[in-house]
Amino acid sequence: MIVPIFVLISVIGLLAALGTVLSRNLVHAALYLVAFFFTIACQFVLLEAEFLAAIQVLVYIGAVAIILMFGIMLTRNILGDDTTSVPAGWKLPAGLASLTLFGVLAYGISNHTGAHGSAATVGTAWSSVSQRPGIGPDADPKTPRAVAIANMGKTVGDEMMTRYVVGFEVAGLLLTAAIVGAVVLAYRDGADDDPARRVLKAVGLFPPTPPPPGRAPTPAAGPAATAGEPRV
Amino acid sequence: MTQDIPLTWFLYFASASFAIGLMGVLVRRNPIAVLMAIEIMLNAANINLVAFWRYGTPPPGEGPITGVMLAIFVITIAAAEVAVGIGLILLCYRRWHASDVDRYDTMSG
Repeated sequence: MIVPIFVLISVIGLLAALGTVLSRNLVHAALYLVAFFFTIACQFVLLEAEFLAAIQVLVYIGAVAIILMFGIMLTRNILGDDTTSVPAGWKLPAGLASLTLFGVLAYGISNHTGAHGSAATVGTAWSSVSQRPGIGPDADPKTPRAVAIANMGKTVGDEMMTRYVVGFEVAGLLLTAAIVGAVVLAYRDGADDDPARRVLKAVGLFPPTPPPPGRAPTPAAGPAATAGEPRV
Repeated sequence: MTQDIPLTWFLYFASASFAIGLMGVLVRRNPIAVLMAIEIMLNAANINLVAFWRYGTPPPGEGPITGVMLAIFVITIAAAEVAVGIGLILLCYRRWHASDVDRYDTMSG
């Protein structure tokens, strides 16, 4: 029963990916991309990672696809040349490259023999793995993976705060840097009626002149009690 | 027990998605379309991570959900990448008045 569902989801996903790559209209491409993201979420459900499927829907469909939509709307081509069409001379080499890559990957997957001299589970060939380790009622319910799958959200939180805490902090730092970088990149250095500059002026961060060295702090950097009051 | 999905099927699906994404990166001229194709490739990699986690045997002392955590980090990086990428694309669009990667050739020698 699960195999036909997988085949159906995979076919839909690959068709959506092809539609993303080949469709002329960029908005249609973005919608195909949403469909592809959703099939990926379905694959996560088939792999019993439902928490990851929820994250996939929230982050990819909810945020990334919408950002891409905004990007499409903000960059309409004003020179009149057609960049969404695929040049005919480029289709063949690109298709050849992707087919070659798929051939190499498929050859490697189907001919994988496993590592030599390792434990029995590590040395297993991929093509011989046709059954996932069971977590159902007929399996041993005490395996850590079964417990983790049953309480995926809790396990993710625990692991995030213990084993992967460094990665978690680095990811937070990277997201902060990405936000600052995106704002700086998209900042328009031009007219004074720019909304971003107005906001910066309103909070007293514009013009961004550094204080000269060796002087007392200005009243703007005074005690925190007066920082919230409006200055006349 | 009913028949389960073999591990290699997930790997084939992921590699096919990755190949399609590579074709999109090579064939497209619009930078946003290139970004979409990169997202396809990242998702294909995520499928691989989760499939190996579910079908494989975790090494001792590595925790029960290694593949899922790795996939979560990949999703985080992908979201940051899209934010910065859209900023760059908007900057290039403002500068060259075109959304065409063939025109962004100022740094080509």
